[in-house]
Amino acid sequence: MKTLAYRLIAVALIGVALSFTTESFLTVANVLNVFRQASLTFLIASGLTLTILTAGLDLSVGANVGLSACLAATVMQSSGSVALGAATGLVFGAGVGIVNGLMVTLLRLPPFIATYGMLWTLNGFTYWFMGGDTIHGFSPGFRALGSGYWLGVPIPIYLMLGFLLAGAVFTRYTTLGHDVYAIGANREAARLSGVPVRSRINLVYVLSGAMAGLAAVVYLARLNSAEADIGEPLTLPAIAAVLIGGTSLFGGVGSLLGTLVGALTLTLVVNGMNLLAVDASWQPLVTGVIVLLAVWIDVVTRQRAEANA
Amino acid sequence: MNMNGNCQTQRSRRSQSSVRFLISACSVCSALIVVSVIASARLYADGEKIAVFTKNQTNPYFQMLRLGADNAAKQMNARVTHYVPTRPDSIPDQMSQIEDVITKRPDAAVFVPVDFKAVAPGLLKMNAAKIPVVNVTDRVEKGDIVTFVGLDDYSVGLATARYLFKKMNGSGAIIILEGVRGVQTSSERLRGFKKALEEFPNVKLLASQPANYQRLAALTVTENLIQRHPNVNGVLAANDSMALGALEAFDGANRKVLAVGINGTKEAMDAIKAGRLLASGDNNGFVQGCVGTMAAIRRLRNLPVPKEVVFPATVIDNTNYKTYDILDSQRVCPKWETVVKP
Amino acid sequence: MRRVPGIGYLLVVLLIVFSVSGSGFATAANALNIGVQSAVLLLLALPMTLVIMSEGLDLSMGAVLSLAGVVLATLLMNGRPLPVALAAAIGVGAAFGLANGLLVVSLDLPPFVATLGTLGIAQGLALVATGGQSVVGIGDALPALYESRLLGIPFSIVIALAAFAVFRFALRQTRWGAYVSAIGGNRESLVLAGVRANRYHVGLYVLAGAMAGFAALLLTGRMSSGHPTAAIGMEFDAIAAVIVGGTSFERGKGSLGGTLVGVVTIGVLKNGLNVLEVASSLQVASIGVLTIVALVIESFLQPAARRAWRSA
Repeated sequence: MKTLAYRLIAVALIGVALSFTTESFLTVANVLNVFRQASLTFLIASGLTLTILTAGLDLSVGANVGLSACLAATVMQSSGSVALGAATGLVFGAGVGIVNGLMVTLLRLPPFIATYGMLWTLNGFTYWFMGGDTIHGFSPGFRALGSGYWLGVPIPIYLMLGFLLAGAVFTRYTTLGHDVYAIGANREAARLSGVPVRSRINLVYVLSGAMAGLAAVVYLARLNSAEADIGEPLTLPAIAAVLIGGTSLFGGVGSLLGTLVGALTLTLVVNGMNLLAVDASWQPLVTGVIVLLAVWIDVVTRQRAEANA
Repeated sequence: MNMNGNCQTQRSRRSQSSVRFLISACSVCSALIVVSVIASARLYADGEKIAVFTKNQTNPYFQMLRLGADNAAKQMNARVTHYVPTRPDSIPDQMSQIEDVITKRPDAAVFVPVDFKAVAPGLLKMNAAKIPVVNVTDRVEKGDIVTFVGLDDYSVGLATARYLFKKMNGSGAIIILEGVRGVQTSSERLRGFKKALEEFPNVKLLASQPANYQRLAALTVTENLIQRHPNVNGVLAANDSMALGALEAFDGANRKVLAVGINGTKEAMDAIKAGRLLASGDNNGFVQGCVGTMAAIRRLRNLPVPKEVVFPATVIDNTNYKTYDILDSQRVCPKWETVVKP
Repeated sequence: MRRVPGIGYLLVVLLIVFSVSGSGFATAANALNIGVQSAVLLLLALPMTLVIMSEGLDLSMGAVLSLAGVVLATLLMNGRPLPVALAAAIGVGAAFGLANGLLVVSLDLPPFVATLGTLGIAQGLALVATGGQSVVGIGDALPALYESRLLGIPFSIVIALAAFAVFRFALRQTRWGAYVSAIGGNRESLVLAGVRANRYHVGLYVLAGAMAGFAALLLTGRMSSGHPTAAIGMEFDAIAAVIVGGTSFERGKGSLGGTLVGVVTIGVLKNGLNVLEVASSLQVASIGVLTIVALVIESFLQPAARRAWRSA
């Protein structure tokens, strides 16, 4: 909890610094803008958080978003039905998650490389399927999902808040959620105390895939088109968001609120650099430093807590 | 409890072992099958063998280029094999592909370098192996080539920018969306943009940011820039994807803007038709693929080929888009004589 | 690890299938190509094996290699002699390695995070320094060296194999090797023996960075230039080669021989797919599928005891 507080303070500090250095930062429009951009990263990163909580990892999320978006777009255009297309995207994303989960639980492959192999496989299929084409031109009603407003607030933000709430309830108040943390903290102990470890792990990978599928539909709405390379730049920011948010790669520690803060931090950095007209070449460097700082805060807090205990 | 527990573990371990053995055996078999299928999946045609190198599998421009190459080869009864890096825009991948291709002794190569400087050794290797090379799109820095086929990106950038500024009546504020820093097409187009800015002193440049030729990056950057510069009248983008991404940002903010891109993709045509996109600088990947491949085949057949084939800088807008708006399936390579004046 | 790594079986299958396809795969020239194309990856994968054995990993190697390549090319372009430029490249790599080591060992950051951070920093520096452009005009010394041959074997293959031999010898026959083997999984024994385990641990990351810097010699020689994003993603290839070669994240068990087989298999696969003129999208998918297949085979071949431990 304490580390979450530090993170919120850090984000606030960044916000304050930006509002002093550029007057275009602290406007309603820009703040909403930042939150909208962050929500998309958050949607992907939320499912990813669950897999990392079990001491696993899903490197295929970006590629999953890409292929799911392309499939959803194809179905939407050929059937004329937005609902059918969206469902396709979701189902496919979840399907990829099922395969990932089985690779980890049934075949007992190390998640890092297994999902890395899945990444390549999905990319290959996307390239083959799309062949460099673009699917474009969706209905304004659908596009509102990504770029529209409701009561003055961008719609993706509602999605973000919704899933944040759902996720918080899941992790804090359901047995499933508690199991996920337990598995990450100590898998053997969880197994011995009766947690159905395998099915929980399968579940988190399915959720990760399903969230990727959902994010794919929202990206489709926002971009108003589907291309083979949609997913390419999405994986690393999602992972960074989870890590900056305080979730530990060793499992058992972390929260969805933290992931949201992480997504916000990353978005703020890009937003600030654009507003300040800083050369985009600096972005990787700034992001790298922030990742280090964010996790270092965790480590220091943990060490102090252990010292005081 | 202990006895039962042990038996349970042993039995499940054995059945787990068999399951996993089966899965592993099936994996090896499927690997064998996959590889065999791959090995037998080939294109057969008589005639010259042309190796076509492009940068990545995702950019629609290169897809059109490959289509053009296929079309030309079919017309002229030659055979084309495509080599695209498995990791998009990867220099080491393209270098490896060049080396692999050389051992197969193609008759000629059509070459879009991933980086116009860094892949020079690859071109030199093809030269050493006496494989004639036609350079397309990105002009290589050094090495022997049969001919260069492509745009003068500087001129296209200049023409497109001039078009936008004229439509803005010579005054207003614009933002520029650059392509990928360091890529030749990107820097040349930017040079053209900047020259046009000099010619129109009342057009103010508010910001210039790279967006990697990608839609999402352009969307995000534009959304951010709009916050800083609420009075943007025009968007100058180095390719259509970025122009369309920028348009999405303005749509989201309920604002109108004059935007131009480069490439003349199908989507850009539709946007021009619908009045969303103002214009697009013509960069016809299909035709470049056609002409490049034709040039390679002509060289092999001892037919004359000019030192370079540079396409004129044309701007596609709602007055002339019909000539350019062709369904992909109906595209046919132009005749050599219409493209290359004797 | 004395048994054949699972990837070895896959390698044999690939060699057979590619050779009988009649497409020119099974020639001496092509074999040398595979060697040349795999050399840089092997230089990265060797120290990566040791890092993974210590229960860590280094995601920054690709970015550091690219940066070192830029440094090397820039110094050569400015007329500095090759040994000086190479020393600088190795120095840059070692500096990042030191940073990684300190972040992981002294600050106790998880290696994934620490090296993800330094990846960004290295990448950012390379991009800002070059503006995305290649650094060319490096003179003839390095390209000539790169193209030279020893008894008909290309320079890069000689260097890569020599590195393998050195690493193997050091790991098996020296005290240093014994210590670094123990860092992952048996650290207590080191501490009990009064060895400063932390020093050796940091040293591993310094070694990884230095090797990335050294690999710039081959990469820059190959491209006759330095480019800020040339080696992006190579660290993932290296990690994949190491893991399918039998080294495991969890238990500190590793095999340099397995890594060698892993690197060769990746090289054979990529080369074979090109020589067989497989469609590009299918190439990408095949690499993914076969990575997973390799993992499955390797996982199946592991001793039953370890499988049981991992069952849950």
